[in-house]
Amino acid sequence: MAAVARRQVRPPAWRRALPENLTAWSFVLPASVLVLGLGFFPVIWSFLLSTKSSNGFGPEHGVGLANYRELAHDAEWLAAVKRSLEFTALYVPVTVLLGLGLALLLNQKIRFIGFYRTCFFVPFVASAAATGVIFLYVLDPQYGIVDNVIAWMGLSRQQFLDDPDQALFLLAPIYTWTAVGFDILIYLAALQDVPQDQHEAARIDGAGRFAVFWHVILPAVRPITVLAVVWETINALQFFDIAWATKRGGPIDATTVIIVYGYKLGFVDGEQGLGAAVACVLFVAIVLLVVMQVGYARWRKLDVV
Amino acid sequence: MVQFNKTHPGIVVNDQLGSNGDEMVQKLQAVIGSDNYPDIAYVYGSDVPNVSQSSKVVDISKDIKATGFDWNSLYPAGRETATVGTKVVGFPAVIDNLAVVYNTKLFKAAGVAPPKASWTWSDFRAIAKKLTNASKDVIGTGFPISGSEDTTWRLWPMIWQQGGEVLDKSNKKALFAGPQGVKALQLLSDMALKDKSLYPDQTPDTQKMYGLFDSGKMAMIVTGPWQLPDIQDHHVPYGVQVLPAYGTSHETISGPDVYMVFNHSDARRKAAVTFLAWLHQPAQDLQWDIGSGNLPLSSKTAALPGIAQFDKKYVGIDLFVKNLSNAHHIRPPVTGYTQVSVAVGKAIATSLLGRGSPKDTLAQAAKAADKALS
Repeated sequence: MAAVARRQVRPPAWRRALPENLTAWSFVLPASVLVLGLGFFPVIWSFLLSTKSSNGFGPEHGVGLANYRELAHDAEWLAAVKRSLEFTALYVPVTVLLGLGLALLLNQKIRFIGFYRTCFFVPFVASAAATGVIFLYVLDPQYGIVDNVIAWMGLSRQQFLDDPDQALFLLAPIYTWTAVGFDILIYLAALQDVPQDQHEAARIDGAGRFAVFWHVILPAVRPITVLAVVWETINALQFFDIAWATKRGGPIDATTVIIVYGYKLGFVDGEQGLGAAVACVLFVAIVLLVVMQVGYARWRKLDVV
Repeated sequence: MVQFNKTHPGIVVNDQLGSNGDEMVQKLQAVIGSDNYPDIAYVYGSDVPNVSQSSKVVDISKDIKATGFDWNSLYPAGRETATVGTKVVGFPAVIDNLAVVYNTKLFKAAGVAPPKASWTWSDFRAIAKKLTNASKDVIGTGFPISGSEDTTWRLWPMIWQQGGEVLDKSNKKALFAGPQGVKALQLLSDMALKDKSLYPDQTPDTQKMYGLFDSGKMAMIVTGPWQLPDIQDHHVPYGVQVLPAYGTSHETISGPDVYMVFNHSDARRKAAVTFLAWLHQPAQDLQWDIGSGNLPLSSKTAALPGIAQFDKKYVGIDLFVKNLSNAHHIRPPVTGYTQVSVAVGKAIATSLLGRGSPKDTLAQAAKAADKALS
């Protein structure tokens, strides 16, 4: 009797799971809505816009894939892509290696280490506009401190960001300065996961500092390195804020990278369809990059995704 | 505004800082797309044809008539810019023009006589060269090369003075790359590269060029009346002269900006027009001008006795008022003008940085312009 009664009150499996599922969904729903609303919806909307001819004020009309065809023959677009690739090649290796190097230095048991770590992380949370303005002042050809030091050392003054040949090459280290805090952070986390006994074992076997780094630490942080390289490559391809805050893509077009070009097309030239096409092409390129990363990680059985 | 709200029960005007002119259009694009647009917005004259394509922009000439405002008392340049085709889309906000403001102290120190009303561009070049003094960090003049409309519009009067045109009559073909345009840009690039007497300013709002003038490090700037209050704040002793000429024409450019009206409903549109009509009454206009240093918008304002106070407060402003009669052309009022402006701005920047000859860069800009206008 008692057993029957128990069986009667016991709900079916799906119903038993329901409150649990509801709880789970209530946790992930806000984030899902945010991701869909702020990530997914704009992508769809951009794609729809990229099939139209619109200047943001007048009537729009559909043009199919004409905007993409126009891009394929647009010398300025190709120049912008080339600049973005140059920027990426300059920025990514330096940022990732510097991140690792600084993380190794900051992984010591010394006094005030928390303060040092904070110092390196502050530029990462500073706004890009503020960073841009600071560097405009520091590198100003008339009254900037760097040029004054150079002149004091008896070297010729530089135009820095005002020089079309230097501007892009300078923006890469500036961006590294702002972004390297993130790489330091993830490398620090990874370094603290390296088992202490492996360190000790290697030491006992007579390995020097470099051998420990090469044979113990580097393999241990490889998954993080893959993540950092892909993450920073995406950032480099999407580079916009500091380029816009400092030079609006100038001098002439020297810092007009992909997103700056798309922004100019859409909001300065009044060709919103074409600007959206630029965004869509970049989106597809980045998705391919991420797919490649996941593929590589699975193939090497790296535990990053 | 407080005064208007007090005297006009039933209408409440709120002000909201948009952004400076060039970026205002980007903001408007965003708010019109989301239907969250203002009733009135300050728009640069060069952007008016583009913004007028919006269905939210309607003809307000009947509303103006209903308020009893004397539209024809406004100066023609302002009226023309606020009219697109047959539609009146707003009220002129600011009428300006370009002239040369020079630092009298630097002229005196170098023993150079102040420019005469009959001066030429070769005088301008010679004076700039003479006043440039690298050891004292003083440079003759400057030119904005951020590539925005502030770069481009300064070339137009130099072309018009020589009898050249920006576009052909049908507004379909670029003429600015003709011999007049090349000659004008050649002069500027020679000054920048050979004489080193012209500072090419890359900052987005031209703040470097104006900053150098304000700190007494630049002898002459081509600018409009809007800059006088700032110069006075920095106590720079200055004089004003008309633009130099090629031959005898001292033609300048007047680039009126417009308070555009956006339609929400009949009642709101009428309220907006009522407010603007009130703002453009001579007494209001004068008060505004004295406060800001803007030129009077109508001949009625200029005829008020109070204008003497305005002339006294802003030394040299009377020359800018008179200089309005040297403005004969207006910028081509076509929607493709934005792209023309971008292309020419880039050509000027490229030439002044020595990355291309004026002839080649202008020819390339003309190609881009023709494509945008076709």
